[in-house]
Amino acid sequence: MAQGTNHEDSPRIGVYICHCGLNIAGVIDCEKVAEAFKDYPGVVVSKDYRYMCSDPGQELIKEDIRKYNLNRVVVAACSPRMHEPTFRKCIAEAGLNPYLFEMANIREMCSWCHTHQREAANEKAIDMVRMAVEKARRLQPLETIEVPVTPKAMVIGGGVAGIQAALDLADMGFKVYMVEKSPTIGGKMALLDKTFPTLDCSICILGPKMVDVARHPNIELLSYSEVTSVDGFIGNFKVKVLKKPRYVKEEECNACGACTEVCPVEVPNEWDMGLGVRKAIYRPFPQAVPSVFLIDKDSCIECESCVEACREQGRDAIDFNMKPEEVELDVGAIIVATGFDLYDPTKAREYGYGRYPNVITNLEFERLVNAAGPTGGVVLRPSDGRPPRRVAFIQCVGSRNVSAREYCSRICCMATLKHAHQLKEKSPSTEVVVFYMDLRSFGKGYEEFYRRVQEEGVRFIRGRVSKVLENPDTHNLVVRCEDTLSGEIVEMEFDMVVLAAGLTPPSDAEHLQKALKISRSPDGFFLEAHPKLRPVETHVPGIYLCGTAQGPKDIPDTVAQASAAAAQASIPLSAGKVVVEPITAQVNEELCGGCRICESICAYGAIAVVETERGAKARVHEAICQGCGACSGACPSGAITMKHFTDTQILAQIRALTVGRW
Amino acid sequence: MSAVSRQVVVLQASWEFADEVIKRGSRIFPEEELKTLYACIQCGTCVGDCPSGRRTAWRIRHIIRKTQLGMREAVLSDETLWNCTTCYTCQERCPRGVATTDVIRIIRNIAFEEGYALERHLAVARNFAKIGHAIPITDEVKEKRKRLGLLPVPPTTLSYPKALSEVQKIIEIDGFLKKIQR
Repeated sequence: MAQGTNHEDSPRIGVYICHCGLNIAGVIDCEKVAEAFKDYPGVVVSKDYRYMCSDPGQELIKEDIRKYNLNRVVVAACSPRMHEPTFRKCIAEAGLNPYLFEMANIREMCSWCHTHQREAANEKAIDMVRMAVEKARRLQPLETIEVPVTPKAMVIGGGVAGIQAALDLADMGFKVYMVEKSPTIGGKMALLDKTFPTLDCSICILGPKMVDVARHPNIELLSYSEVTSVDGFIGNFKVKVLKKPRYVKEEECNACGACTEVCPVEVPNEWDMGLGVRKAIYRPFPQAVPSVFLIDKDSCIECESCVEACREQGRDAIDFNMKPEEVELDVGAIIVATGFDLYDPTKAREYGYGRYPNVITNLEFERLVNAAGPTGGVVLRPSDGRPPRRVAFIQCVGSRNVSAREYCSRICCMATLKHAHQLKEKSPSTEVVVFYMDLRSFGKGYEEFYRRVQEEGVRFIRGRVSKVLENPDTHNLVVRCEDTLSGEIVEMEFDMVVLAAGLTPPSDAEHLQKALKISRSPDGFFLEAHPKLRPVETHVPGIYLCGTAQGPKDIPDTVAQASAAAAQASIPLSAGKVVVEPITAQVNEELCGGCRICESICAYGAIAVVETERGAKARVHEAICQGCGACSGACPSGAITMKHFTDTQILAQIRALTVGRW
Repeated sequence: MSAVSRQVVVLQASWEFADEVIKRGSRIFPEEELKTLYACIQCGTCVGDCPSGRRTAWRIRHIIRKTQLGMREAVLSDETLWNCTTCYTCQERCPRGVATTDVIRIIRNIAFEEGYALERHLAVARNFAKIGHAIPITDEVKEKRKRLGLLPVPPTTLSYPKALSEVQKIIEIDGFLKKIQR
């Protein structure tokens, strides 16, 4: 094989300048750039071509490698993010070690940013190619590392996203741990009454899937549990999970409910957004999975009536001495499906939420309209328990607002249309008015649903509400806004106002971000590896995203993305092994003084000082090392080299840039 | 609110007037903030919040829209332009962060220079040129001040004729005097 010997010979470099259609050639004279390297030391061949990444483009490189016996290849084209793997594969197919390849990004870093400076851009492109050639001359072959994969996955979050991803993976035959922080799975979808635009009963379509999770032989459900730490790397993650005490033994409880009946404590029920009450020993809702009760120790008075009631049923499920339990999991892949929190509308002070009892959120409305909710599905206003005759919906609360959240929350328009329809369905004489800036009914069947709701007599006023005022005697509300279509400032009185509060990242997103070492976008949601081509992967290999953890989306999109994440996660799980980049840190033990600075600085826990026969020395775990170079930069004795980015290579690039310029 | 004209308005596809407003305003306000003018989506928060709009025909949203559309004469000659109290409620609440009130202040400056000021504003300005105060002090106010233990006349140009002549010199040099003498 050529790759064993070629790199040791004197460098024979091939240089290829890509036009990228007009993306590069529209600004840079590619022919001239190629021409500049025809007689450059070590360069055997220098060419330009319209699309280097195309099949004929790659064929051209392979042919030249054979014809001219090339042992280094430089491609000046786009960002290496996308096509470095393409060209590495290409030269490997021609028998070269894939790491004897160097890329110069003359598109993003030159033609695109210097569109109106053609001459300077040309000069810069030549500089960049020269740097790449000088680095290529000094490249060393590297061997990829293969690591085994534990064929198990962890799904964090048991909402509809997590449920779909877990079921898909489990059906493929992989063991799945589902970690849910609440006492039940089901997430926000379990709280909804109906789903738009088809008006399916939400729990009727979700409930069976929740039960499937509990019964699936490949799924182990860890409810009321939280991920505390994650170590390791793709294929080999070590996860610590804290199981919070329910004070009710899961295997002993048969959910008969005798305990709840005797419990004397009543507190606001968070599963009804505080609109109803629950006992101190409770089950979130009848369809909860696992169908097990739990004790809320903060409100329990430890009267032990429940213990007695349980014993009367012939069981002994209650255990006040239950302790938190730490569980360790070994998994090969992780899917993050942690969902969203509702925007807190008390921050939009002009709407009076939290001060005016009849101003409620969209999620509170869901509980009021839900047969399983505190009012049995009859919409009643909080101040006096009477059915409202006039209801206003205010859109974009906390969304599309530079002082709250800039993004569109994507579900509120349709959720409001659904709510408006439900009011009209239950009581056609109810006056329903929707105040909006833009109505976004973009999904399948959504625009048709909008039309249907209009025809049911729901009124739409295009104007963002500027203020809600309350009559303190009646608790009725006056909504003030400009009807922008007529130009009139209008005031309308209502019995109830529903705020279409937007979606925000969950409050514990930061904790999870740190534990998983993944990134978040400026909006606070977890960041995908590529917005178009890698939408469910993260920057950390082996960790995937789905549902609203990645950004606001509705149920159809969430389910689709969850299946996509499961499919992506199944790739390493079914391969049984993964290839890890060999661009890692390397310690010269002769120089290492064992000072541990590298150990303290490594964000991945990839470098550690160990005792050897010759004293304390730093050792790199190559599979964990991400090649960031932090340790190498920090090492006071210069003992750490970054493979593929050695000092020699980088200094040669700097020299190539500066020589001839100064 | 001004009546809708019965003719077709011929618009130019350029942002000439909006750019003029931004450029003119950038002497005082950061240009980046004024560029928010492009971002208005006419949601109406500004008008709904406007304390003047609830009592007068003033509709700030319409001025912003016409400015975006380049309807220069219509904007500068709109008499409601002077009904804004510059209370900044709209700018505070605009969900797109548009510098609405700043924009109005800039447009008023342009309008003033081009002779669109209302007679009652010019009267106030002339008061200032004459006595150094926009509103003259009445005998009633003087009495009130005395009752409160203050000097009958505040320590301003009213008490210091030399300061008044300095003010007059300034407004002559900077051109203000010329603008109000028509």
